[in-house]
Amino acid sequence: MARSSTRFSARLIIERFSATLILLLVAVWLGVNLVKSPSQFFQASAIGISNGVLYALIALGYTLVYGIIELINFAHGDLFMLGGLFAATFIAVWFGQDSPSSVGYVVFFACLIAVMGFCATINVAIERFAYRRLRRAPKLAPLITAVGVSFVIQFIGIRWNGSGPKTWNSVLPSGEIIIAKVHIPYTTLISFLVTIPLLVLMTYIVTKTRRGKAMRATAQDADAARLMGINVDKTIAFTFALGGALAGAAGLLFQQTRGVTNYNLGYQLGLIAFTSAVLGGIGNLSGAVLGAILIGLIQGLNDGLPIGLGQQWSQTVVFSILILLMTFKPTGLLGKPMVEKV
Amino acid sequence: MKLSLRGKRSSDKKAKNNKSFDQAKWIRGFTIAAVLIWVFYAFVVELLPYEVASFFQKWMPASTVNESLVWVICALGLNIVVGYAGLLDLGFVAFWAIGGYTAGWFMSDFFHQVNFHLGSTAPSSQNGIHISFWGVLIIGALIAAVFGVIIGAPTLRLKSDYLALVTLGFGEIIPQFFYNGENIGGFNLTNGSKGISPIDNVGLFGKTLGPFDLDWKYLIFVGLAALMVFISLRIRSGRLGRAWLAIREDELAASMMGVPLMRSKLSAYAVGAVSGGIGGVAFATHVNGVFADRFSFAISIILLAMVVLGGMGNVWGVIVGALAISWVNATGLPAFGDTVNAALGTNINFPSYNFLLFGGILIFMMLYKREGLLPESRLKELLHETDDASTNTGGH
Amino acid sequence: MSKSVLNADNISVKFGGLVAVDNVSFDIPTGGVVSLIGPNGAGKTTFFNVLTGLYKPTSGTVTFDGQDITAKPPHKIAQAGVARTFQNIRLFGLMTAEENVMVAMHSHLKSGILSTILGTRKQRAEEAESKKTARELLEFVGIGGTADQFARNLSYGDQRRLEVARALALKPKVLLLDEPTAGMNPQESKTFVDFVYRVRDEKGLSILLIEHDMSVVMKVSERITVLDRGQKIAEGSPAEIKSNKRVIEAYLGKSAESGN
Repeated sequence: MARSSTRFSARLIIERFSATLILLLVAVWLGVNLVKSPSQFFQASAIGISNGVLYALIALGYTLVYGIIELINFAHGDLFMLGGLFAATFIAVWFGQDSPSSVGYVVFFACLIAVMGFCATINVAIERFAYRRLRRAPKLAPLITAVGVSFVIQFIGIRWNGSGPKTWNSVLPSGEIIIAKVHIPYTTLISFLVTIPLLVLMTYIVTKTRRGKAMRATAQDADAARLMGINVDKTIAFTFALGGALAGAAGLLFQQTRGVTNYNLGYQLGLIAFTSAVLGGIGNLSGAVLGAILIGLIQGLNDGLPIGLGQQWSQTVVFSILILLMTFKPTGLLGKPMVEKV
Repeated sequence: MKLSLRGKRSSDKKAKNNKSFDQAKWIRGFTIAAVLIWVFYAFVVELLPYEVASFFQKWMPASTVNESLVWVICALGLNIVVGYAGLLDLGFVAFWAIGGYTAGWFMSDFFHQVNFHLGSTAPSSQNGIHISFWGVLIIGALIAAVFGVIIGAPTLRLKSDYLALVTLGFGEIIPQFFYNGENIGGFNLTNGSKGISPIDNVGLFGKTLGPFDLDWKYLIFVGLAALMVFISLRIRSGRLGRAWLAIREDELAASMMGVPLMRSKLSAYAVGAVSGGIGGVAFATHVNGVFADRFSFAISIILLAMVVLGGMGNVWGVIVGALAISWVNATGLPAFGDTVNAALGTNINFPSYNFLLFGGILIFMMLYKREGLLPESRLKELLHETDDASTNTGGH
Repeated sequence: MSKSVLNADNISVKFGGLVAVDNVSFDIPTGGVVSLIGPNGAGKTTFFNVLTGLYKPTSGTVTFDGQDITAKPPHKIAQAGVARTFQNIRLFGLMTAEENVMVAMHSHLKSGILSTILGTRKQRAEEAESKKTARELLEFVGIGGTADQFARNLSYGDQRRLEVARALALKPKVLLLDEPTAGMNPQESKTFVDFVYRVRDEKGLSILLIEHDMSVVMKVSERITVLDRGQKIAEGSPAEIKSNKRVIEAYLGKSAESGN
């Protein structure tokens, strides 16, 4: 929408000024911490980035779905939580693996495939039964439905995992490497080893395969895509499957690297991941990854630095970022502005 | 023309789509029900034989009735934001919290460093800020209204999904602030996770209401709910209500017809917040304290489920929805669970099914009965609108 | 009274690399009934949206009644006296016809929240007055009997009329009609032409139409402006435009001129 030209530039000035001010303050905060205790700084950063990588997997699911049907799949984070529960059950309960061993590693990889399939299937089912009917309904309807689905999935989580957290032993090797006084656990390295190929695979699917092209076409203009012979329903289902698979992988990684499952993890981490997607530019895949790393970093620094708000304010920090983004730059870092047609 | 019990409204002479006719019926019905319930709990219950009384104690204790009324008050507030103006607020719990802490600050010994009394039931020797319940209601409403504007301001240019996220963000930040508020810059502002307790007693016409004066509390809560109903209906019949409905349907067209979007939306947030604030103060006196860990995201969703179930924009439906869901959550599920477990010898944790209940309600209503159980007739068409391929049918 | 009630000077609208409107100057003569035509994609609607404040032009100014309105938000422009209807009807379907019209009176009413809640005598009088005015407007456009029906349930033709009634409730000085005869049959189009003049004469307005239906355009316009690919290529009386080579080319393509 148009704004008055004088109000326009005044607003722009205020926005630019506040943005610069905020960035300056952040830089100062980082700088002071860096000087004060560099090893803690890098340690917090390392933790933050390893979190960020996890968020990236989840954020991609949000951004994929939003890109194609303009729906914030509220329940996506809870899918990640279910993935964690599945992983715990698969590895520890069915196969009884609770410590590092070669059998354990095999089971881990088998579980990776299984959990991705599991979560992909559930996500496709949710789309089919809860969202598809509402595709042409006013935006309020599928949004509310998604919230409902989120609660139902949390309920499943409560029944499956109890109303409190459960801890698990991991099959991943414990121990760490130390680089310049920064402790990097093996689990973090394994997270990278799993995540990066997944991201590469996803990029390949989206950019090089027919299905991926169909996805991008549908995201741009569903009706035109239909006219080109693209089966929009199948394409959307495929998108949900992809997003679900990534969330499942994230769930497995979280469960094995953090060793905990809890029914409400999805809600908490989901919102962080969604903020990452928005930060990077909703609908933009590399943006989701970029945003996730950034958010992970910010969170890690906030929680782990001597001069920081501390972990109890972690959520507030992330949500404040979300609110600021939505208010001043809803398109995020890499997104493009949209104009409403009259 | 039927006379409504609230004399003023009977001046709407034309039965526009039978609207005012229906209103009169609903007003009468609810007033009678409210009075009957009060009579029952104030006088009849004492006269009942033990078995019957304990049946009611199990399935409809007076405390649940009062708690449900608080939910009604808050749901009516959310109804203004979501139901009238179409702004999906997922963080309404923030206003409930604000109301609660207003009571905590101004009706307790929390600020024991000072001694300030204003119409309170507490003895003047007691330290702390002690303002009468009625004064705190007003203060809570005002503070909540201010926060309504603060929360609404960033959302003004956003689409419905982003708007929901921002309100959700505030719905998390504000309670987290209360939860962590024990040490903000060295000051204890909220007593953190311990909460603030006890809250002063409510004074009514010189009588001090203790924790067991539930029937008098009931009257107060009913009065507050009735006030919110009155405010909702009055605003809706005027130009702001029309502006809200127009914004809900087509914000762009509304602005091109001269409706000031920003002001109208902020008004919706503010009025809705007032209701939340009032509900929060009332609830604090009901549970005799304000406790930070109670203000969770789930509450915002439960309120949403109430509004959705009852029919967005329909105060009567929302009241019914709120009473129903609140009862099920507080009493229905546990009592039902006890009965079933006793009968079958099982040990199923029924109350833990409430997430399934809320989620299920939202999903079911959106898929099959988007207009709510007691639909405002116009809403039935709004929410099915774009499902039809054709935009215009021939005249009826 | 000045000659033009609305002036657009050197308006250009660029969306990134796309130039939708290219340096168009245009005015609506006071009390006139003028049309804006052009083939699809000519930039008519974009230009229209600039006039009503929906788009901010990349360059150029719009002056209305002496004020610069280029920068103003849509609701302020509407309040100043520029009213419009929409190409795809944008009524508030779930409000009655009467309420639809009353929405447009929002800026003329004065009652605040408090007086509405308390139901002061002044507020009640204001409400009654606006109801009366709304009904009068509905009568004026010919759908007086539908006041209590939901706008969504009205026939297509009645909906179009309701849109006009709603626009008139703004007490505008200029009425902009965006493809008002879309979907009308020839009989309805003819009545519409008379209707436009009745509106101009009885309400003292100036009117601008965007139209595709050439017979309507020729019959209703005192002056026609033609856009093609974002540029103004002709402006004049219906007779002049009908025989303008560039206009014919724009609509039919170059071959048409040379072929037959």
